[in-house]
Amino acid sequence: MSSFDTGATGTTEANEATEKEILRFLEARTKRPWKTDTDLFASGGLSSLFAMELVVHLEKTFGISIRGADLRLDNFRTVTSMTALVERLRTAAAGGTADA
Amino acid sequence: MRDLPLSDSPAPDRELSPDTQLSSGGENSPGEPAAMVTALVAGEADGWDRAGLLPVALLRKLGAAGWLCAQVPDAYGGRGLSSAAGGAFTAHVGSLCSSLRSVMTSQGMAAWTVERFGTDEQRTAFLPRLTGGDLAAAGFSERGAGSDLSAMTTRVRREGDTVVLDGHKVWVTAAHYADLLVLFGRYSEAGEDDGDAGADDAGEAVAVVVPADTPGVRVTRVADPLGCRAAGHADITLDAVRVPAAHVLGGSPLPLPLLVTTALAYGRMSVAWGCVGILRGCLTAAARHAVTREQFGVPLGEHQLVARHLAELLVAEQTATRACEHASRCWDEGSPEQVVAAVLAKHISAGNAARGAATAVQVLASAGARDGHVVARAHRDAKLMEIIEGSNEMCQLMLARHVLDRTV
Repeated sequence: MSSFDTGATGTTEANEATEKEILRFLEARTKRPWKTDTDLFASGGLSSLFAMELVVHLEKTFGISIRGADLRLDNFRTVTSMTALVERLRTAAAGGTADA
Repeated sequence: MRDLPLSDSPAPDRELSPDTQLSSGGENSPGEPAAMVTALVAGEADGWDRAGLLPVALLRKLGAAGWLCAQVPDAYGGRGLSSAAGGAFTAHVGSLCSSLRSVMTSQGMAAWTVERFGTDEQRTAFLPRLTGGDLAAAGFSERGAGSDLSAMTTRVRREGDTVVLDGHKVWVTAAHYADLLVLFGRYSEAGEDDGDAGADDAGEAVAVVVPADTPGVRVTRVADPLGCRAAGHADITLDAVRVPAAHVLGGSPLPLPLLVTTALAYGRMSVAWGCVGILRGCLTAAARHAVTREQFGVPLGEHQLVARHLAELLVAEQTATRACEHASRCWDEGSPEQVVAAVLAKHISAGNAARGAATAVQVLASAGARDGHVVARAHRDAKLMEIIEGSNEMCQLMLARHVLDRTV
């Protein structure tokens, strides 16, 4: 969890933990199972209210700030894409890289 | 601007209004800022309502001291209040003057949109203006896009280092006073076909900061609004309005629903707390009248049918307060529950305020039945609160959707 890796590799463990946490939240909140590559907002999917809940949840749980262009829907479409977003923002925060 | 009794110096008039004494019950006491606002507003709101205008100098003074958007962080010249503290302050202002409170809602929503979607540079550029005396409004609704904001047709077209806005907005609260307009519209790159984008309801949209004096912006007041008559509601037309591309918050388009849901979340919290204020103003006025006015040889409050009105007003005020406190707690804790809690608080508070204000008018009867009187204003203002920032029906749909989303 306290990985200091700044590259894209070597973070598999962190990725898995992140993915697991996002799945846990989704399943607790929607009372149904999700796959990591399911499009959450495709037809019959979740509301824009829920999209905002996801943003707030990721920020709170992972201590990140999601701003500007990072809020684009593609980043929230699947568990996989959210995991990638979280890891990228954590890495940027740890490495001191300014956000967008 | 800082020489006025609006900054950190104690207000000259420290006397709390009876409103505050009766309604706060201690736990929500907003303290010195509230006393400062009371000194400035009490006794004036009646005249502002009848004139349909707030003194611009007063708005700029409050704005320059950070009080129109008090939740903006200190780093940007704001007061850095939590949602709970900001809410208590909002309720206090709402108990005195819903028009002024509406201007705060607009300024706060504009600031929140900049804070939430803007880049570091944009936050640094715009937020100090919103805490420095400039006034702002946020424009969502259009003639064909009220509850259904996905029908929005205002276009924002990228052209080199600029963007060009075409379209219109209606009923933009505080736009009459605003120096800066935060406007939402559909986005297209230069040369992109922007013909049928309206069909794409998850489409890409942007929020743009537009100075109100930009050529092509025309702001026309809504004549004789039902409520919040001095809040400066206005329609806006945008005819080839060109601003730097750096005014597009966040620099790139986002899904329209996420954009407006996020921006409105602040507005809903502010309206909800404002409605708590309306209820407090009504409760105070009704209680005072029931104690002092005698009919059939006893004070009105000794008549059981009148006493019940007072009980109902208290229940309405307390219930709305608890819903707002919960939503603010979620907001301050960063809980994802804040999104639904804000809708719930808005819905409860607006409905309670509309019913409570009608009740208060009933208790005061002829004593409150003239324009400008606190309960007459409350009656008109609260009705508008059932319409803006998500009508009763839209709130119910969102709450129902929330239930359905979490049911197998």
